Amino acid sequence: MKKILFALLALSLIACTKVEPEKLPEPEAADYTGTVTVMFQGEPFDNEGINVNFTPSEDGKTAEITIYKIRFVPQMPVTIDVTIPKINLQSTSEGIILSCEEVIPLAMGGEYPRYKVTELKGKVAGKELTFSLNFGDYPTSFKGQAD
Amino acid sequence: MSANDTLLAPAYATAFKERVPLEKVASPVSVILPAEIKSESIIRQGRLSAMVPGLLIPDYGASLTSTIYLRGIGSRMENPSMGLYVDGIPIMDKNAYDFDWTGISFAALMRGPGATLYGRNSMSGTLVLQSRSPDGHNSLSASAEGGIAGTLRAGVSASIGRHVLSASVRHSAGWFENIYKGALCDPYDGLSFRWKWEQPASGKVQWSNNLSASISREGGFAYGLYENGVLHPVSYNGEGSYHRLSVIEGVHFSYKGDGLSLDGTGSLQWLSDDMRMDQDFTPQHIFTLQQAQNSGTATLELIARSENGNWQQASGAFSFYRRNQMHAPVTFGRAGIETLILDNANRNIPEDIGYLSIPDDELPIGSEFTINTVGVALFHESVITAGRWRLTAGLRLDYEGGAMAYDCLASLHYRFIPTMKADKAFDVPYRGNVVQTSGLQILPKISALVEAADGFFVFGTVSKGYRAGGFNTQIFSDILQSRTMNGLMKDLGVYLDTPTVSVLAENTRYKPETAWNYEAGLRLVRDGFRAEGSVYYMDVRNQQLTVFPPGKTIGRMMANAGHSRSLGAEAELDWHIGDFQLRASYAWCDARFVDYNDGNNDYSGNRVPYVPEHTAFVSAAWNCKIKNATLQASASARAYGPIFWDEAGRLSEPLHIRPEARLSLAFKKWEIWLRGENLTGAAGRNFYFKSVGREFFSRERPLNILLGISINL
Repeated sequence: MKKILFALLALSLIACTKVEPEKLPEPEAADYTGTVTVMFQGEPFDNEGINVNFTPSEDGKTAEITIYKIRFVPQMPVTIDVTIPKINLQSTSEGIILSCEEVIPLAMGGEYPRYKVTELKGKVAGKELTFSLNFGDYPTSFKGQAD
Repeated sequence: MSANDTLLAPAYATAFKERVPLEKVASPVSVILPAEIKSESIIRQGRLSAMVPGLLIPDYGASLTSTIYLRGIGSRMENPSMGLYVDGIPIMDKNAYDFDWTGISFAALMRGPGATLYGRNSMSGTLVLQSRSPDGHNSLSASAEGGIAGTLRAGVSASIGRHVLSASVRHSAGWFENIYKGALCDPYDGLSFRWKWEQPASGKVQWSNNLSASISREGGFAYGLYENGVLHPVSYNGEGSYHRLSVIEGVHFSYKGDGLSLDGTGSLQWLSDDMRMDQDFTPQHIFTLQQAQNSGTATLELIARSENGNWQQASGAFSFYRRNQMHAPVTFGRAGIETLILDNANRNIPEDIGYLSIPDDELPIGSEFTINTVGVALFHESVITAGRWRLTAGLRLDYEGGAMAYDCLASLHYRFIPTMKADKAFDVPYRGNVVQTSGLQILPKISALVEAADGFFVFGTVSKGYRAGGFNTQIFSDILQSRTMNGLMKDLGVYLDTPTVSVLAENTRYKPETAWNYEAGLRLVRDGFRAEGSVYYMDVRNQQLTVFPPGKTIGRMMANAGHSRSLGAEAELDWHIGDFQLRASYAWCDARFVDYNDGNNDYSGNRVPYVPEHTAFVSAAWNCKIKNATLQASASARAYGPIFWDEAGRLSEPLHIRPEARLSLAFKKWEIWLRGENLTGAAGRNFYFKSVGREFFSRERPLNILLGISINL
C-alpha cells in the first residue's frame, strides 16, 4: 500500500512540474569583423579585417549579408562591397543556420551574376558568424566576431 | 629737366608716409617723374619692369593677373608681395592692381620691406603713386595715340579751380590669334576716370578727396601649348575674358598744429569682376572656370606726427574690413569627364568587373565663397637726427583674421555597366566655414643714414615685411573633383587601392609669409646726377607655395612650405647734361630655395622660378631746339633674364632685350610723336604653367609702332 501511495505521489509531482520548451535564438542585425578566405588557384587568399554586416528580414526567415571591401584575387586592383540577399535562416539550439543554394549577389549598384553565389552554408552562434560559399568559381569562407 | 627734378620735389611729398626728402630715406628708391611717365609711356605698372631695378611685371593673362616679381619674391595668386598706394590709399585687392595710370603724375617704388609704415603686403617693396593735384589755375590737356593691332589710347585731363578731372580710354583689337576660333583672343576696351579735389593749403586743416573708377572688358589668356620643344599658337575652344569695374573713393584730411600734425585717410573700395577661362587651353572641352567676385573694402588710417628738436616721430593706427563674395564654378566638359574623371576611375577597375559611365555632357562644380577679413595695426617710427646721421627705428604690430564660408556642389549622373540598369543622380555637397588668423605680426625696422659728404649718402637697413595669409579658393575645384570621385566610388561600393586624394577646406588656409631684409647702400646726388647702389639679403620664411598632401603624389594644397633667400645688388643712374639725359638701372638677384619639398621632390638649393636673375634698363634722350619747337629723340632698352620657369630648373628663358625708340616734336601747346615698342619683334616667353599635364607658355607682345599727339591749353 505504501508503495502505491508513494508511486501516486511521485506521479502527481511529475504531473505538476512545468516543462519549459527549448528557447531558440532569434536573428539580430550585427556587424562582424573577421577574415575572408578565397581559394585562388588552389591556394587560400586571406582578406583580414573584413567587415561583414548581417541584416535579417523583419520576419526573421531570411537575411542579407554584405561583405565590405573584399578582394577576390591578390591581383585585383580594387576592393568591392558585395551583398548576398535571400539567405534562408533556421534557428536551432546550436544557433542560426544560414543556407542558400543559389543567388545573384548585388555589387556596384546592381546584380552581379559573374560572381553568382552557390552552396552558401553558415551559422550565427553567439558572437561568431561563419559561412562558406562559392563566389562564381571561387570557394570562399568567412569567420568573424561581432563588433 | 633740372637736376633736382630727379629727386623728390616737395609737391610730391604727400604721396609718402615718410616726411623726409627721399634722398634721405635709408632704402633704395626709384622715382618716376611726370616727364618720364610721358616719355617712357608708362600707362600701366608693367612699364616699370626693369626700369626699376629688379622689378618684373610680365604682361600676360589679363588685368587681374598682376604678377609682380621683385627681389626674388613674387605672387601669382592671392595676395601680392608688393604694396600699392595711390594718393595715400592702399589698394587692397590684387585684382585692382593693374589699372591705367589716368591722371597719375608721379611714381616712386621703395624697394625692400616697408611694412612699418605701409603694412601688409609691402614685403618686396611699395609702389607709391600720386595723381595730379589742382594748382588753382584752369588748364586742359588731351592726348591720343594709335598704333598696330588697333591700339588706341586717348585721354583728357582738366584742372578747374580746386578740381582735377582725368579720363582715358584704351582699345586694342588684340595681338594673338586663337587659331581654333580664328579670332584674336586678347582684345581690350577700357575706360578710366579720376577726380581729385583739394582744399587750398591754408589754415590748419586741409581736406582732399579722390575718386577713381575704371571699367574694362578684355580677352586674354594667350597661352600656347609647348610640346617637344615647340611653342604652338594659341588654340582653345572655351571663353577667355575678363570684365572689371573698380571704384575707389578716398578722403584725406590733415591737421597741422604747433609741433603736432595729424593725417587721416579713409577709403571705400569696390571691385566687381568676372573672369572666364578655358582652363585646359586646348580645343577640347575639358574644363572651364568662371571667377566672379564682388568685393568691398573699407580702410581707415590715422597718423600723428610730432617734431621735437632732432626727434621726429610718427605714430599711427590702421584698420580695414573686406568682404568678398565670390562665384567660382568649374565646369567639366565631355572631354574632361572622360579624360580627367572616367579614365582615371576606369583605369583601376578590371575590365571583367565593369566600367563607370557618366552620360552628362557637362559636370558643373558650383563654388560660392564669402570671405570676411579684418585687420588692425598700430605703428610707430622715430627718426633722430644727429649731425650728418639719421637714425630710424620703427615697429608695427599687425593683426589680421579672416573667415571663409564655402558652399560647393557637384552634380552628375552615373551608371556602372553592366550592373546598373539605369543612370543614377549623384550630388556631392561640400559646405562649411574655415577661420584663419595671422596671429600678431611684429614688424620692426632699424636704419641708419649718414651724409658722408655733401650729396653722398651711405645707408643701412634691417626690416621685416609680410604678405598676408588667406584662403586658396582655386583649389576647391580639385577638392570637389576628388570628393566626387571618391564619393561616387563609395556609393558604388568600389574602392581603388590608390584613391584620389581629397584635401579638406582646412588645407586651403595659409599663414602670412614673412621676410627679413638686410640692406646697405650708397647714394650720390649732384647737380644733374643721381646714382644709387645697394646690396641686400632677404630671408623669406613660411613661403606660400603649392604642395602635394603629405605622402601623396596627387592632389594639391597651399601651404607655408618654403624657405627661400634672395641675395642681390641693384644700381640706378640718372644723369642730365645739357640737352642729353641718361637713365640706367641694373639688378642682379640670386633667389634660391633654402628648403622646399613639395611632397614629391626636394627643390632645396634650386632657383625660385619666374624671378629674373638680371634686369637692366637704359634710356638715352637728346633734346634739340629748332626755332620754336623742341625735337626729342630717345632710345631705350629693357632686358631681363634668365628666368627659370619651374622649381626643378628644367625650363628657362634666356635674357630678353626689348629695344624701344621715340621721336617727338613739341611746340608750345602741342606735341606729336612716333614711337616703337619691342623694335626687334622678339617673341620672348613671359609666363609658363602646367595644366592637365600639358605645358603652356605665353609670349611677349610683338613690335608696335605708335603715332601720338597731345595738346595743352
